[in-house]
Amino acid sequence: MNEILEGIIKAFQLIFSGDLKIFEITLRSLFVSGAATLIAILWGIPIAMLLGLKNFRGKLLVKGIFNTLIGIPTVALGLILYLIFTKAGPLGFLSLLYTPTAIIIGEAILVTPIIVSLATTALEAVDPEIMNLAKTLGASESQASMAVLKEALNGIILAGIASFNRAIGEFGVAAMVGGITSSTALLTTGIKLETDWGNIDISIALTIILLTLVLIITLAVNIFQRRKK
Amino acid sequence: MHPWQKMIIIAAATTVLIIGGTIVYVRYFVKRRLLISTTTSLYDTGLSYEIEKTFEAKYQIDLQFISVGTGMAIKQAQNGDVDVTLVHSPSLEKTFLEQGYGVCRKIIAYNFFTIVGPQSDPVGIGELNATEALKKIADYGRSRGVKVWVSRGDNSGTHQKEISLWNVIGAGYNYTLVSKETQWYVSGGSGMGQTLLMANEFSAYTLSDIGTYLKYLKEDRISLKAFITEEKALLNVYSVIAVNQTRHPGVNFNDAITFTRFLISNECQQLIENYGKNDYGQSLFCPAVQALKQDSSLPASQWIKDSAFFDGSECPQEYRDGHPELYD
Amino acid sequence: MSTVAELRKVTKIFNGITALKNVNLKILEGEILALLGPNGSGKTTLLKIMAFIEKPSKGEVYFCDKKVTDKNIEQVRMESTMVFQKTLLFNTTVYNNVAYGLRIRKFPKNKIDEEVSKVLRLVRLEGFEKKNSKKLSGGEQQRVALARALVLNTKLFLLDEPTANLDPKNASIMEEIIATANRELKTTILIATHNMFQAKNLPHRIALITDGKISEVGTPTEIFGKLSKTLVSFAALENTFIGNAIVTEDGTTLVDIGNGVQIEATIQSQGKVSIFVSPEDIILSKRRFESSARNVLKGKIVEILDLVSVVRLKVDVGKPLVVQITKRSFNEMKLNLNTEVFLAFKASSVQII
Repeated sequence: MNEILEGIIKAFQLIFSGDLKIFEITLRSLFVSGAATLIAILWGIPIAMLLGLKNFRGKLLVKGIFNTLIGIPTVALGLILYLIFTKAGPLGFLSLLYTPTAIIIGEAILVTPIIVSLATTALEAVDPEIMNLAKTLGASESQASMAVLKEALNGIILAGIASFNRAIGEFGVAAMVGGITSSTALLTTGIKLETDWGNIDISIALTIILLTLVLIITLAVNIFQRRKK
Repeated sequence: MHPWQKMIIIAAATTVLIIGGTIVYVRYFVKRRLLISTTTSLYDTGLSYEIEKTFEAKYQIDLQFISVGTGMAIKQAQNGDVDVTLVHSPSLEKTFLEQGYGVCRKIIAYNFFTIVGPQSDPVGIGELNATEALKKIADYGRSRGVKVWVSRGDNSGTHQKEISLWNVIGAGYNYTLVSKETQWYVSGGSGMGQTLLMANEFSAYTLSDIGTYLKYLKEDRISLKAFITEEKALLNVYSVIAVNQTRHPGVNFNDAITFTRFLISNECQQLIENYGKNDYGQSLFCPAVQALKQDSSLPASQWIKDSAFFDGSECPQEYRDGHPELYD
Repeated sequence: MSTVAELRKVTKIFNGITALKNVNLKILEGEILALLGPNGSGKTTLLKIMAFIEKPSKGEVYFCDKKVTDKNIEQVRMESTMVFQKTLLFNTTVYNNVAYGLRIRKFPKNKIDEEVSKVLRLVRLEGFEKKNSKKLSGGEQQRVALARALVLNTKLFLLDEPTANLDPKNASIMEEIIATANRELKTTILIATHNMFQAKNLPHRIALITDGKISEVGTPTEIFGKLSKTLVSFAALENTFIGNAIVTEDGTTLVDIGNGVQIEATIQSQGKVSIFVSPEDIILSKRRFESSARNVLKGKIVEILDLVSVVRLKVDVGKPLVVQITKRSFNEMKLNLNTEVFLAFKASSVQII
């Protein structure tokens, strides 16, 4: 018990003294997950617009697929990506394995179904007549779609935040394609790495940072949702 | 839908920008990195951590150890996903060299496997040698039907050693046979640390490298006792092999050689010898370079040459790619 | 007077249902034309075609004597605007809502500011620019929607049941604003309604529509005067009934409208008549109580229409009567389908057409 308490105290000391390694890992985590979420948003919104505003054969199937993909176990996705990025695999020539780039791609793929699903719901919640209304005020087809998108903005922002939360807290993809090594360590893989090496104070520090981040984001989401009403 | 097209273009452009940007950044603005696949045995003892710290303090190269089972480590080297591999399975290493995947092999360290088991020694292997002990354990397990042996069960060097031991006992005890007798033979299928924990749980015996065993014992994670050790049959040899750049042109061959040179340097050999002395009262690894010198009188020296040399050398000429300074 | 818009032989089919059948209609410049018909008669569809957000299945639409095709539809849309029955405001400030159309037309900021405040004055919402549109009352929201459309000063102005969801006070404010807009800005207005009294007082001409067909077009005097032909059409509008009127000894008029339902009216009349009771004049209660109302009818709720601030209930008293009550009353009284209720209204509320 004493050791654990000691570890926690040391962890706080490390955090507040601005320990370089912890800072680097935190920054890398924020950048990687942030970039992944950004990419997912940029691809996810057009897909959501397609699913939320247009009708086509097989639409229900596509929606169902995205909804199911939300729950994909991260390590399974990690393995699939590993097999793609390995030199023996189709994208091996890019030499992406064990780089932060691979993690960005992996997390973006992981998180896109969340964006698509939440954004589609948000767009569907917008009154379908808004599109017609905008047109009667002189909007072109594209301007009218933008008006609908604006109405759904709250839901879309929520989707983005929820996705970032998922990305920054996931382990499976980062471990499989980023490796559990010091050069590519994120908050999650860093915790495993430092624990394996016996540096419990560092891993506790990283855990504290990760939990704090996730907590703040989740709180922000809740407050945001309440203010929407 | 026009805005839709615009959105897709923005998405694609940003993706390319971010991915391209990170690739460029990692390749040009950050220290060169050297990817090393290594076995869990080296990783679990913490030796790779020490090596990484010391090396990175000396060189502007970023070491990245990928710790997996020996079989996987070799496979990654085969694929060219890593630049160099550090393993302890001479049979697999031989094939690796013969198939042209690796060059410039150097033996850097050795230690001994040990058969560990519950303090009370229910089977009574205390005074026996390795193969005799295994035979007795099998007999015990067969007659009582209790779980008495835990195996790595993966493609690791440790597991290869276990297989070879079973196969020299005699008829009725070869590996294929005993491994199927699951009432007493448990296949862990995981790293050394995990296997030790399992043996601890079942109060069973297992084959372990001395390093991981001592570390886990010290950390109070297991309470097993080491019965048999320092025997020719239990020799465990660690070598480093660089990935053949002819086979995989993109690998970081130069830094792999720098790393190899470092591993056989006095400084690193000393580090290896001293590792663990303070914490465990004994070295976890023995430096191999000195032991292999012509004038060495250590019994281990001969044992290594017998079991881990190929055609009389740690690295036959045809598997060397320049760098004669590595070999004397 | 020139024609602003014209529908020639327009038919519209949705999913096998014919919403409009062979419609011919002209809208003249500067007039208010009322499209009068019951719910489901095709009014909204016709309006949407006039707003150029729906295309006819058959037939042609002309705007200022030019045929409307895929090529010019976006330009033509700029010349007409529509206020929907259900208030649809963007989730932002009143200013941003009203300015939407102006911004699309690329007006400069200072001009937008000027026009927005002018039109807000017209709809009696001066100073409301910064308020969030969702926080306004139902009547205020509908006026913002009206302002948003009026500010564009388009050639054609379409209103779909603009007062249907409003309480009488707000409804009359709306009607005043519409009349003022037409008078001062000379806007051409097509207003769809099922409210006969709106149709009587507001427009220059009325077009009667039932089941997707235009049965008659004329001035209010012509339409309301021609009892014989229009009686049949009016029978389909809500709370209008054809019945047989008899004057009793004490001077009141009793109208038998069928199914054993007798309505007492103060206006003297005899023989075949058309009567109308405004939904707002009917009081709904769960228990029979004594009052000065001469007409008390028992019935069951057969339909509930939630219109945000008010609720319309259709009650079967032998014949269907539509009652309008506030949302609050609806919640407090805990009304449901099949709830037995009592409808009461004064004899003086009964209007004979």
